[in-house]
Amino acid sequence: MPTIAVDAMGGDLAPDEVVKGVAEVSLTTDIECLVVGDERRIQAVLEGVSYNPEHIAILHCADAIGMAEEPREAVRTRPDASLLVAVRAAADGRADAVVSAGNTGACILACAKHFRLLRGIRRAALASVYPRRTEYPGQDRLALLIDVGATVRCEADELMQFALMGHAYARRISKVANPRVGLLNMGSEPMKGGEILVEARRRLQELPQLNFVGNVEGNELVGGRADVIVCEGLLGNVALKLIEGVSEIFHDLASHAGEHKLAWRLGLRLLSQEIERLRELTDYTQYGGAPILGFERLLLKCHGRSNARAIANAVKVGAKAVRDRVPAEIADALSTFR
Amino acid sequence: MSRLGRRRGGGRPTPPLVCRWDLDKTYLRSEFETIRQLLRTAFERGEDKVDVPGVVELIKVIREAAERRGQPCRTLFVSASPPQIGKAIRAKLDLDGVPYDGIVFKNQLQHLRPGKLRNLREHVGFKLVALLGGRLEEPPEARELLFGDDWESDSLIYSLYADVIARRVEGARLESILRGLSVDPELVREVLSLAARAGGADAVERVFINLERRTPPAMFRLFGERVVPTFNYFQTACCLAGAGRLEPADVVRVGQALTRSAGYTPRRLENSLGDLVRRGHLALRDAHTLLKPLRKAGLIPGPLRASGWRRVLDAVEQLRARRRRVVGPPQATVVDYEAILERLHATTPAEASGGPA
Repeated sequence: MPTIAVDAMGGDLAPDEVVKGVAEVSLTTDIECLVVGDERRIQAVLEGVSYNPEHIAILHCADAIGMAEEPREAVRTRPDASLLVAVRAAADGRADAVVSAGNTGACILACAKHFRLLRGIRRAALASVYPRRTEYPGQDRLALLIDVGATVRCEADELMQFALMGHAYARRISKVANPRVGLLNMGSEPMKGGEILVEARRRLQELPQLNFVGNVEGNELVGGRADVIVCEGLLGNVALKLIEGVSEIFHDLASHAGEHKLAWRLGLRLLSQEIERLRELTDYTQYGGAPILGFERLLLKCHGRSNARAIANAVKVGAKAVRDRVPAEIADALSTFR
Repeated sequence: MSRLGRRRGGGRPTPPLVCRWDLDKTYLRSEFETIRQLLRTAFERGEDKVDVPGVVELIKVIREAAERRGQPCRTLFVSASPPQIGKAIRAKLDLDGVPYDGIVFKNQLQHLRPGKLRNLREHVGFKLVALLGGRLEEPPEARELLFGDDWESDSLIYSLYADVIARRVEGARLESILRGLSVDPELVREVLSLAARAGGADAVERVFINLERRTPPAMFRLFGERVVPTFNYFQTACCLAGAGRLEPADVVRVGQALTRSAGYTPRRLENSLGDLVRRGHLALRDAHTLLKPLRKAGLIPGPLRASGWRRVLDAVEQLRARRRRVVGPPQATVVDYEAILERLHATTPAEASGGPA
């Protein structure tokens, strides 16, 4: 069984929700969790919930990087912070992957500092799944957006590597045999988007191992045209936050609309089942974390507000990625590209 | 003060060691959450019954370790199951080669009369009567280890029993507690009568609760240090070694039984040991003492992991030194039964005593 190092002190609700998530995993799976953080606080949370100690080891460290800290400085000056200790544990082979809900920038920098990039990879990418409309039966209801913030600006080469990494990840984790890959752009025409995107599109089209569907526009992000959508980090992050924001606005509207008019309340009651389905669909806690791809080891970055369920799902996704040899799959995909 | 590895001895005859075991969920992996399972359990033959991993070896090593010290050891079972399943239970114990000195069953038929039906599910009175009655058959200086689980109210019953025979709970207070627990008035009278005769010795060293339902360990804090909730019998064995009741070689035997027949890996055993240290039921130096033979037997990960384990231990050691906390024999526990009763009335009896409804 794979060992997943879990940064117990990362995230807005750490360590309570993180440790509860680990406890949940220990009861329902054989995944081994190496929980990294303040031992006393971790143990205090554990003893208050059901858990199976046979699948939990604790690696004590007193320091932790805050969510609002400047990542570069924190990673440089805080070697004993839980995130860095967890990443080092994976780099040393004590764990196979890492899960953290902590500071995103620090997660990426910690990986860059301690993990080796896969051969041929220029930049790592942070990928994120999000719910979308499906177009055909059997299509995964989640699409993968890569990159969502690890590499702010990209060259065409890097976008091609992201496409191959996302393709390999989707094949292994979403079990889509031949995922459709799209390039996020401001128009569907080949000449749109500037020099880098034009070149990236041309070269992606030429890759025989990819099922490339061309440019994907913003309104198609939530459709089923592509299973993997490639973009540079800045654009991906904005797009992802926009999707999350729209979803939150919808929930707010739905929950407050009923307060104003009886007719609206009745309407909401009639639509309650569909609203609940939508809520479930957009509930990030069930999707696990966003993987940082491109390194020999995997780190799954969870939402900062992750609760126990989100952490548990991220640990399960991490274990699945290790079992399915996702980094090796990515390395294989890139070797054909070279 | 650590007692691991020290042999008891001397000129005086050693007082006997009495080990009292619950049967279902402590010795046997009985399943009776549904009527179907209950019926199947009732009609199972000895060879169909399944023991909890490690329990057979643990019972054997406790007895052998006591006998090595020249201390007679008695293994007794107290079960709330009806005597009708006794034949299958005895067959199972024989099959496992478990040496035992007696089994007490609950005669359910005597409760099948008007006004007594609720006694079918009420075990506090029955078990206290059985335990106190059993105590009268032992010499007053006999020491006791009690083993139960988190399904019924074992932690409460065993703690009450320990305090009754130590005369920490007696007379009107005992009666009030029993009434608070809704024990049948007939059984209350019987318990009070037995308590008056059986009391006089602080004989119960430890109460081990097998966390079969994975009840959060914090639920047992009200019962004090004497009650040790353990997640598997390897943890129980380690704890007994820390208390000087077992040798490291005995712990190795229990660990081997778990790896041989229950699929335990060295990592799982290592994690179990770490958990026990963190929960304060095993002193760090005792864990160190156990590590060498366990590693030699291949029960704890080898040199590659050892460095990691060493780091964990060092970290734990530093932490413990900071807290100036030393694990030793349990202090004379003062259990606040009134607080437990209060919790009981807020929840259900089993939840209040660390178990479920």
